[in-house]
Amino acid sequence: MKPLHIILILIAGIAIAAVVGMWDNTSRYVSFQEADELAKENSSKNYHVVCKLSKAKPIQYDPQKDPNHLVFYAIDSLGFEKRIEFGQPKPQDLERSEKIVLNGRSMGDFFYAETILSKCPSKYEDAPVKEHPANIPRN
Amino acid sequence: MNLLTSLPNSTNPIIEFKNEWLWLGNLGELFMVLMFISAIVSAFFYFKNNQDSQFQYLKIARLSLNIHALSVISVFGILFAIIFFHRYEYYYAWRHSSNSLPVYYMISCFWEGQEGSFLLWIFWNAIIALILKRTAGKWESPVLAIIAFAQVVLSSMILGFEIGDFKLGSSPFQLLREERPDFLNIPILGSLGIDNYLQVFKDGNGLNKLLQNYWMVIHPPTLFLGFALAIVPFAYSLSALWNKEDRSWLIPSLIWGLACVGILGTGIIMGGFWAYESLSFGGYWAWDPVENASLLPWLIMTSAVHMIIISKNTGRHLFTSHLLTQLSFWLVLYATFLTRSGILGESSVHSFTDLGLSGQLLIFLLVFIGISTIASFNSTVWRKKSSLILTALFVIPIILAYTLPKSAHDAYSSGIKWLGIIAFLVVLVVFIWNLYKNNKNEIADEHLSSREFWIFLGSMFIILSLIQIFAGTSIPVFNKLFGYKMAVPTEDDYNRIQLWMAMPIMILMAVAQFFHFRETPTAIWVKNISISMITALAVTILLNLNFGIQGIENLLFLFFAVWLVMGNFQIIWQRKKWRFMNWGAPLSHLGFGVLLVGVLVSSVNQNILSTTKSGIALAPEQDEKGKIDLKGVQFNRENLLIYKNEPLTMGDYKVTYRGSKKGIIYDTLDEFFYLHFRNIKTGDTFMLAPKTQNNPKMGLLAEPSTKHFIHKDIFTHVNYHSGMDKKEPYSAFVSDTVVLGQRFTTSSGKCQFTPLQLLKSTDEKGLALKLEIQVERLGRKSLLYPTILINEKDGNLESLPVEDENLGVILTLQNFKIDDPDPEKQKISFVIQSGEKTPVREYVVLKAVLFPWINLVWFGTIIMVVGFVIAVTHRIQVQNKLK
Repeated sequence: MKPLHIILILIAGIAIAAVVGMWDNTSRYVSFQEADELAKENSSKNYHVVCKLSKAKPIQYDPQKDPNHLVFYAIDSLGFEKRIEFGQPKPQDLERSEKIVLNGRSMGDFFYAETILSKCPSKYEDAPVKEHPANIPRN
Repeated sequence: MNLLTSLPNSTNPIIEFKNEWLWLGNLGELFMVLMFISAIVSAFFYFKNNQDSQFQYLKIARLSLNIHALSVISVFGILFAIIFFHRYEYYYAWRHSSNSLPVYYMISCFWEGQEGSFLLWIFWNAIIALILKRTAGKWESPVLAIIAFAQVVLSSMILGFEIGDFKLGSSPFQLLREERPDFLNIPILGSLGIDNYLQVFKDGNGLNKLLQNYWMVIHPPTLFLGFALAIVPFAYSLSALWNKEDRSWLIPSLIWGLACVGILGTGIIMGGFWAYESLSFGGYWAWDPVENASLLPWLIMTSAVHMIIISKNTGRHLFTSHLLTQLSFWLVLYATFLTRSGILGESSVHSFTDLGLSGQLLIFLLVFIGISTIASFNSTVWRKKSSLILTALFVIPIILAYTLPKSAHDAYSSGIKWLGIIAFLVVLVVFIWNLYKNNKNEIADEHLSSREFWIFLGSMFIILSLIQIFAGTSIPVFNKLFGYKMAVPTEDDYNRIQLWMAMPIMILMAVAQFFHFRETPTAIWVKNISISMITALAVTILLNLNFGIQGIENLLFLFFAVWLVMGNFQIIWQRKKWRFMNWGAPLSHLGFGVLLVGVLVSSVNQNILSTTKSGIALAPEQDEKGKIDLKGVQFNRENLLIYKNEPLTMGDYKVTYRGSKKGIIYDTLDEFFYLHFRNIKTGDTFMLAPKTQNNPKMGLLAEPSTKHFIHKDIFTHVNYHSGMDKKEPYSAFVSDTVVLGQRFTTSSGKCQFTPLQLLKSTDEKGLALKLEIQVERLGRKSLLYPTILINEKDGNLESLPVEDENLGVILTLQNFKIDDPDPEKQKISFVIQSGEKTPVREYVVLKAVLFPWINLVWFGTIIMVVGFVIAVTHRIQVQNKLK
């Protein structure tokens, strides 16, 4: 049974190392200001920011100039606004989103997002009564 | 509920609602209660029969199990009837279906909602219970007592019982007006009367568009069947612990476990295939937490099945077999909790809302861990003691929560959290310790040349791979428990580690079957392993001449995967004189190897055809010397803009966007974009039509279109198109009089009209006069057909404008005058109003990806499934012969 025990201990060791390594390496949820500060320490590590679209400022996406360039402004949960730059086409439900989860890093005056996950209210709940088709009489 | 009281009719407390089919829902509720009670009775009498065998008990238990199964089927049928007959007074039908839904998608409504999903699970469990009743023999009583008990818990989740504030489950027969009382408040009901509310709700909300796919008709039930099957080995293991049986639980557990692994695996891959065919992320696996949640039970069940094989053949490792079998069912419950509780909300694209069922699911899991722990004690005294302790652990906190003053709640809940975690860990340790103590092996050396040694090792490596996925997927749970702010790992985080973790498993899958149980003559295993290794090396080199894979870790992975295929092929070859029924194990392993080769090649060698280098740099900044600083942002530009009828080269293909077409599919407007592909080298051509859909509920959805070749797939996906741009309004409107056959320049001076001929047609409204007119503007030409409709009844004229965005022109035929009635001369003049704007150039923003050899993934899966079918059939045959 000896080789078995050695191997089992080895496997347990690898398991602990893998889990600790992954948790250490995985991104965290931060605010824009925290992301700014963290970027000063390590400018290549990504973080998650939960924010919402700033409706006051326009979404800039002109595919005829560059289909892989999107700029918009977002406000995090602490009310801090930041310019977001994204190297992919505009997510189709960005305008409708009530919450956006960005994964990326702060570049100083802007936040470079590698992925954008936008959450729309209607995907998860019933449509509000006012907009619902049931309110339009049909024959 | 407040809304109801503010209704104008609130003076009249009881409203008679018209046209509701309340009897149908009442019947459903009745069968649900019957289903719940008969499960309790069955569980109770099966348990009694197990403790004190009496035919009377068995008869009652069997009868109530039959009643239970019948009730389940009735509930299922009634819910289907509600959807089929469009009874929108029921919330479930209104929420998840619509009038235009084809019948074959109506069944999909079951898995869009929580209640339907649980019903499906209950349904599969009931079918499994009926099979076990006939086949389990002496195991019938304990095993079915456990499954019937599970049915009690599952049924309670859809009962929808309300006692004061406390709500048990959520019923699929809930009425719309109960679920959404605010709907009775909508303005239009003022004139109709509230009792007539159903006249307004004539159509439902419709089924989630993503579920309207044929794969979504079979993927969820397959997955649920796999989940449901996990209870059987668990029930056998628990029964063996309870009745202190030694090894006879292993054979039936192996059969059911194999079926579970095969069906769950098929279900998972079906989900991957669906994602690849209809989701836009471009791939079949994204390490999404919900995908991982289905993978966890599969991995541990696979591992458990291998341990059971060892225990069955050698009598060793009973402890590990029990432990993994128990864990696999717990993980099914945990996975369901993860996906159904909404705890993954932030991190997953799959989203289910919390119906308050998550608490019940958690209790379900804890109750089963408790039962297993009680059963793990050998002495009756300790079983009694531990069940008292566990019940106290469960009940006291709940009583306290209800009796403590509100002010103490915060301190209480944080205190109870830590106590709960500690208690949970203690229970877990006690369970494992008991299990170990009671199932210890007689210590004897396990030969290094024995098959059991290497299979055991393989199982442990599967667990190792599982631990990482478990830890990553559970991050949202830890965040909630301990207030961390970790995000779930990315795809890369998983791929990087799992690539290495798969390698030892692959080697063991390739070689373990060359060993015999207990001991193998050295010459035999050395010879077989050498042969398979050398052939694998040769095949790998040959294959990589085609694949051209680079990177040491990828090449190693490829070699091991090929070795896995070749090793199992060799086993089949050596056994070819035997019956085909012995092919089960090697064939399913071989299929898995083929799948892994496909996974590697299609992901490592995937080629994004639409990559471009041109574009605007992200926020460039000029420093003092005028040098542009891009701040080190490097990224791949993976989308190309392609104008209509202007071919573009992508990889080996010349791609032309031919235009778009709109079409109504069921209830939404879809737009298809036609892309013509021509292979520059071979001249072959094909068409792809990715689509977008403006879905009223889900916003814009895009569905990819893929061309399948044997050795590669071309995947295309439209991310944006010119129709989504903000429309520039027309301006510079002028009215001109034009004569048929004469070229005319409009007053704006930019546009030439040549009216060619007048076309007449009649439809039900009246006479339609269509003017064919050639329009030239800014060097482009087009034929347009402005129309005037003449209403026969009142003689009114109606003008239908036409526009051509490519020309930037909108035309309205306002009036016409026949100057000379002689048709030969055709002297007619027309008053045409025209508006102009900048011409729109139609385009799409396209992502095109080439996936080489992705068919190996699906092909490997098919081989694997065939292997599983053979293995399960073979085991059943062997068991029947033994009887």
